[in-house]
Amino acid sequence: MATVTLNQAEKTYPNGFKAIHGIDLAIEDGEFTVLVGPSGCGKSTLLRMIAGLESISSGEISIDGKVVNKVAPADRDIAMVFQNYALYPHMNNFDNMAYGLRNRGYSKADIESKVREAARILQLEDHLDRKPRQLSGGQRQRVAMGRAIVRQPKVFLFDEPLSNLDAKLRVDMRLEIKNLQQRLGITSVYVTHDQVEAMTLADRLIVMNGGIAEQIGTPIDIYEKPATRFVAGFIGSPAMNFLDGVISDDGKHVTVGDGVMLDIDHNIAGGRAVVAGIRPEHLSIAQAGQGTINATVRMVESLGAETLVYLDFGSKADNVTLRLQGTHNFSKNDALGLTVPADKIHLFDTESGKRL
Amino acid sequence: MYQSKWRIFTNHTILILGALFMIMPVWIAFASSTHTREFIFQNGLQFWPGGHMIDNYGAILFDPSATKGRVTALEMLFNSMVLGLGFAIGKVIISMMAAYAIVYFRFKLAVPLFWVIFSTLLLPLEVRIVPSYEVVANLGMLNTYTGLILPLIASATGTFFFRQFYRSVPDELLEAARLDGAGPIRFFIDILVPLSVTMIAAIFIIMFVVGWNQYLWPLLMTTDDQLYTIVIGIKQVYNSLYEGGQIPQFPKAFALTIMATIPPVLVVVIFQRMFIKGLVETEK
Repeated sequence: MATVTLNQAEKTYPNGFKAIHGIDLAIEDGEFTVLVGPSGCGKSTLLRMIAGLESISSGEISIDGKVVNKVAPADRDIAMVFQNYALYPHMNNFDNMAYGLRNRGYSKADIESKVREAARILQLEDHLDRKPRQLSGGQRQRVAMGRAIVRQPKVFLFDEPLSNLDAKLRVDMRLEIKNLQQRLGITSVYVTHDQVEAMTLADRLIVMNGGIAEQIGTPIDIYEKPATRFVAGFIGSPAMNFLDGVISDDGKHVTVGDGVMLDIDHNIAGGRAVVAGIRPEHLSIAQAGQGTINATVRMVESLGAETLVYLDFGSKADNVTLRLQGTHNFSKNDALGLTVPADKIHLFDTESGKRL
Repeated sequence: MYQSKWRIFTNHTILILGALFMIMPVWIAFASSTHTREFIFQNGLQFWPGGHMIDNYGAILFDPSATKGRVTALEMLFNSMVLGLGFAIGKVIISMMAAYAIVYFRFKLAVPLFWVIFSTLLLPLEVRIVPSYEVVANLGMLNTYTGLILPLIASATGTFFFRQFYRSVPDELLEAARLDGAGPIRFFIDILVPLSVTMIAAIFIIMFVVGWNQYLWPLLMTTDDQLYTIVIGIKQVYNSLYEGGQIPQFPKAFALTIMATIPPVLVVVIFQRMFIKGLVETEK
């Protein structure tokens, strides 16, 4: 059990590339924190800095109140699960889990009981004598997690642990990880680029972009009140619709497309150029000819439980995505009128992308 | 793939002819080694074995006078074995460690040093044989096993192969081992060496055969008969064929040749199995 604190942590590579630009973060005891972002945003680098596999260029990282900048990875009392499992291929699964304990000088009986216990929790008891390659992807992933939990570390670090698994297994393992973490109550940091994993696993979500933490908050906070246009576009699938617009003189509307006025619920001076963001699930179809947004259907994707409709809007042919429950029959070039409630319109500054 | 009968027939004909072409000289040498020297002298090389195999091989193995030196074939086989094993094991160990340093430790001269090692491929033993001899002589290691083996065990080829292999080992294994509290030496012994078994077997086979067949260096190094390797022994026996007006000892020379080929063949056959097993089972 431990807290993890980052204080202006920065990472600059020898070639001058700055991967992490000063991140402040306080992870509480037992919290499940997820770092999410597109590839190259620095999320893995940050995780590896916590692990000690990357050095810290400036700032401080502390685990349980103790600054660990100069502490070797093995002495930080952390455990890490890698994307490709990183199991030792020549050792059987028992030895894979026991290796860290042996290096730390645990007694034989101790190792035996700890590994058996971990195997029991992860349902690997029947596979301890086998080599990793004799297991399926999901089982290998469990061995990798077993290797992490036998040590009862202060912090678990997960580096995209599920991305090598197929879709169904990924859902199962996601639930299993969440379950395990809650049962063991170990502080965890989890890196992923998959927003479903991020939303479902996180107690707290950190959305990263270009080496900066764009927003830190609970998944629902981030979904409902994205702090920047980047976060708004990254979290939520399909992605939020963005329309360039101007605030009307009375401040009660935003004008988008060819003079379409949408009601808004903000206090913003008139005449300002903004970006209006609307989630596909917040748009709804109005009675014929009544909608505020009139768009034509370009493509329809029926997923069974829901239907995604891609529309062109206005003379600039802005793309708008609409998400409807159930199945619907639309064909190309159908004209649809759409409405959106005022409180579901997010406004972002055109220049900075910050939420208004 | 479907193959017509005609095609199978031609393929096998070519393979069988090729195999016979390779095996025939060895067979004739073996058959000729089982006759008396008088018989060979009168009738030439023989295709069918004669009745003196035990006499000839026994004499050459245990009787020093048969090789016209003060050393038996058994002792020469032992010397060759020491040279082959020392040469192969030394090369494997040295090149594994060199490659480990080059791949896993970031020191400034790693890349230039690797190319320096690699460029020694251009300088085989024959090029540096006089200075090497001088060094070994000054160290007082002439006519010792150490002097025979040590100057030969640095291996650019081995270092290169191990370097390529280590570079293909995923970095995550190193990182996982670091988190598991393994230092550089533990990582090398516990993870890298077991993963390299196939590579080690391959390089061991090649190097053992190369070491066994060394001729020039042992010839220079060893003035004492007691340290003759079997390859040099063959040469000595053939030399003695033309001395002294006796009937030449062709059968014994052939017997020695046959014996010289057996250990490398055994090593290849035995390690080949391990090598293939390793190839099938190992997965990175």
